[in-house]
Amino acid sequence: MDIRAHVSMVFHLDKCIGCHTCSVACKNIWTDRKGTEYMWWNNVETKPGTGYPTQWEDQEKYKGGWEREEDGKIHLRLHDRAKGLSNIFYNPALPTIDDYYEPWTYDYENLFNAPEGDDQPTARAVSMITGKPMDNIEAGPNWDDDLGGSPVYAANDVNLDKLTEEEREQLAEIERVVFFYLPRICNHCLNPGCVAACPAGAIYKRGEDGIVLISQEKCRAWRMCISGCPYKKTYFNWSSGKSEKCILCFPRLESGQPPACFHSCVGRIRYLGVLLYDADMIEKSASVSDEELVAAQREMIMDPFDPEIIAAAKKNKISDAMIAAAQNSPVYKFVKKWQIALPLHAEFRTLPMLYYVPPMLPILAKTKDGTYDIEGLNQEGLPAMLSSLEKARMPIKYMASLFSAGNVKEVEAVYRKLIAVRIFKRAQKVKDYQQAEVTEALTQGQTNPDEVEAIFRLTSLPTYEERFVVPPLGRESAVEAWENPLERKTEAGFGVRNKIAKRKF
Amino acid sequence: MKVNGRRNSKNVFLGSMLTLLLAFLATAAPVAFAQPPAQASDGEALFKEKGCNACHTIGGGDLVGPDLQGVTERQDQAWLKQWILAPDQVLASGDPIAAELLKKYNNVPMPNLSLTPDQVDSLLAYLGGGATTGGAGAELPAGDATSGKAYFVGDKRFKNGGTQCMSCHSVAGIGALGGGNLGPDLTTSGFVQSSAAFASFMSAPSTQTMGAVWANTPLTPQEQADLYAFLSKASVQKREPSALLQIALLAIVGAAALIALANFYWGKRLRGVRKPMVERALAMKAKK
Repeated sequence: MDIRAHVSMVFHLDKCIGCHTCSVACKNIWTDRKGTEYMWWNNVETKPGTGYPTQWEDQEKYKGGWEREEDGKIHLRLHDRAKGLSNIFYNPALPTIDDYYEPWTYDYENLFNAPEGDDQPTARAVSMITGKPMDNIEAGPNWDDDLGGSPVYAANDVNLDKLTEEEREQLAEIERVVFFYLPRICNHCLNPGCVAACPAGAIYKRGEDGIVLISQEKCRAWRMCISGCPYKKTYFNWSSGKSEKCILCFPRLESGQPPACFHSCVGRIRYLGVLLYDADMIEKSASVSDEELVAAQREMIMDPFDPEIIAAAKKNKISDAMIAAAQNSPVYKFVKKWQIALPLHAEFRTLPMLYYVPPMLPILAKTKDGTYDIEGLNQEGLPAMLSSLEKARMPIKYMASLFSAGNVKEVEAVYRKLIAVRIFKRAQKVKDYQQAEVTEALTQGQTNPDEVEAIFRLTSLPTYEERFVVPPLGRESAVEAWENPLERKTEAGFGVRNKIAKRKF
Repeated sequence: MKVNGRRNSKNVFLGSMLTLLLAFLATAAPVAFAQPPAQASDGEALFKEKGCNACHTIGGGDLVGPDLQGVTERQDQAWLKQWILAPDQVLASGDPIAAELLKKYNNVPMPNLSLTPDQVDSLLAYLGGGATTGGAGAELPAGDATSGKAYFVGDKRFKNGGTQCMSCHSVAGIGALGGGNLGPDLTTSGFVQSSAAFASFMSAPSTQTMGAVWANTPLTPQEQADLYAFLSKASVQKREPSALLQIALLAIVGAAALIALANFYWGKRLRGVRKPMVERALAMKAKK
C-alpha cells in the first residue's frame, strides 16, 4: 500500500449556469500573455456539442489517452517507443489552430481615432495571429454555446454515436431540444497521457498534491503531450516555444486560496478537497474493462478515517494537516461516501481526478393538442419522479458515455440517489408527495434521510470553507529537502536563478 | 556569486591575452632578429624536404612541372621569388606568365608550400648554383587497369593501408555518382601525362593534403602502376556528356523515391476537424 494525497475536484453540473466567469477569471490571470491567445485552460462547453477543440472526445482522430489490449495491458494510443521516435519530428495527431479557433481582438482605437464621417466608427475584429482584420469569424472557443439541437455542432457530438437514430432525431425536435453545460479544466490525472507521451520528461506530478505541471525549463516543444492528453488540456505557446497547461493555481493553493476558477464561480458548482489514494493500484485500476473502470477508480480512494490508512499515510510523510483536510474533504463525500460524482470519460484510462455530479435535466414534456403535456403523472397529478429517469430528455446512454465509460448502471445509481434527494426534500417542504413514494425513492436510491440531508446541505447551502478545503501544502518546508532557502541570502539579491531560454519572434 | 563570476571571467580574459602575446613574441623573435645569409646547401635540403622533386627535376626533363635547369636565367628574379612564395596568389592575380605555364602543364597548379622569404632565397641560390638532380625516375612496370579501378574505389586495399582514392577524388569511369570532393576531379588530370611524372608525384606528394595523407602510407610501385593504368585509360580521361544526364536522372528518381517513402510513412496526418465537419453538415443540409 502506497498512500498518497491528491488535491481533487468536484463540479456539480446541476448548478452550472454556463456564464463563463471561470474561463474569464483564468484567462485574465494566466493566459493573457503573448503566445497564449488561443488557450483556455478553463473552458465551458455546451453538451451535446463538439467542444473545444472541435470533437476533442474523438480519439480515433486525436489519438489521446490509453488503449486496452486484449491481454488487459494498456498502452498509449498515440505511439509506442519505436513509433514515438520515428515520429519525433512529425507528430501526426496535432489539432490545427482552426480546431481551437483563430483568436481575435477588436480595433477599439478606431472608436476614438476615426476621422469625422457620416457613419459611426466601428471596432473591426483583428486576428491575433496574423494581425489582419477578420471580416468572417468562423469559430470561437465556445462557438456552439447554448446551441442545443444545432445540426452542425450538437449533431456532431461524439457521445451521440451511442444512441439510436430515433433517439438522435428526437434530440433535434423542437420543444425537445435539450442541453447542459460542461466546464472543463485539466483533470490532473493519476495516469496522465501527457506525462507518458512527453519525450523530454518535462511533465511531472507534484508529489505532495498531485498537480500535473510542465517544466518550462525542460520542455523541448515536441508537443507529444498535446496529442497524448485525451482532454486536449495541454497547449503549445508559440511565442515561448513551450507547452503550457492548467496549474490548478498552485501559487494560490500554496497561500491557502482555492484556484481562481473555483473562487469566481457564480453558481458555486466547484468543490476542492484532498483525496487519499493507493498509488499501487494505479496500473490495475487503469487496466480493467470499460464497465468496471468507474468502480475501480473509486476503489483506489481510501477512507481517511481508517486508522490503518492514516498510519500508511504518515509512513509516506503525509502531514497531519493534510490527513485532516482529507477527512473534511467535500470531494471525498461526493465521490466515495455518497458516490454521486463520476469521472469524465473514464474510458480514456487516465484516471482523472476531477469528478462531475451529472445534471438532473428536466423531465420530458411536450405540447399535445395545444396544451403542455407532462407524461406519466401520478394519482395526485404530480410528475412521477421515480419514473422520470426513464423519461429524461437526455437519454441515459448519453450520460453514461460521458461519465461512466458507457456503463449505464453507474449513472443510473447516481440519478436514483439524486432523485431521492429531490423527492425527499420536496415532500418535506412542499408536502405533496406521499410517504410511501418517499420511502420508495430512498430505497431505490440506496440512501437514507441522514445522507439525503447531508447531500442537500453540501449541494445547496455549503459555506466557503465547506466547498474549499485547501490543505496547507507546506511547499516552503518541502523545498528545504533539496535546497537551502537561505543559500543566496546576502549574496545575490533579486533575479532569476536559472535563465529560461526563449525563442524570440 | 554573479558578481564574482564576472570578475573571474575578466581575469581569464586578461590572462589569455597575455599568454597569446608571449607566444607571438616567442615565435616571431628568431625570424625578426636572426637572419643568416641564403645558402645553396639549405636550398638543396629544402628542395627535397618540401617535395619540389615530386614534380620538378633540374636537368632531368619535365615531369608534372617544368625542368628547373636555368630557370633563374629564364625568369625574372623578383617574379620567381614571388611565384615560389605564393603561387596561388600570383595565379589569382591573372599574371600572364603564370597563366601560360598553367596551360602548358595541363592545368596542374603549383601548390603554395608555405615557405618563408629566407627559404625562397635559399632555394633560388640552389637553383642558380648549377646543381642538377637525376633524371626522371624509372618508368613504372606494366599496370592492370581493372586492378587500378579496384584500388581507386576501395574494393582492393592498399598494401600499406592508404585510404582509397575515391574518398577525396572523383573521376569518370567509376559510376555516375563519382567520388569525393576534397581533392580535384582526376578526369583529364595533368598528373597522368607520363608514368614517370605520376610515379614521381605519388612517391612523395608535395601538396599539403596529399603529403599529409600519404607520408606514412606510401604506395608500392605495382599499386602506382595499376592506378596509372586505370587513370590513363581513354574512358577515364574523358567525361561523357551523358554522365551528367545520368546524375540528374538519379537525383530526380532518388528524391521522388524518398518523398514517396516519407509520404507513405508520415502521410496520415490530422488535417483539421472543424472545417470538414461543418462542410459535411452544410452539404447534408443542401441535399435535403
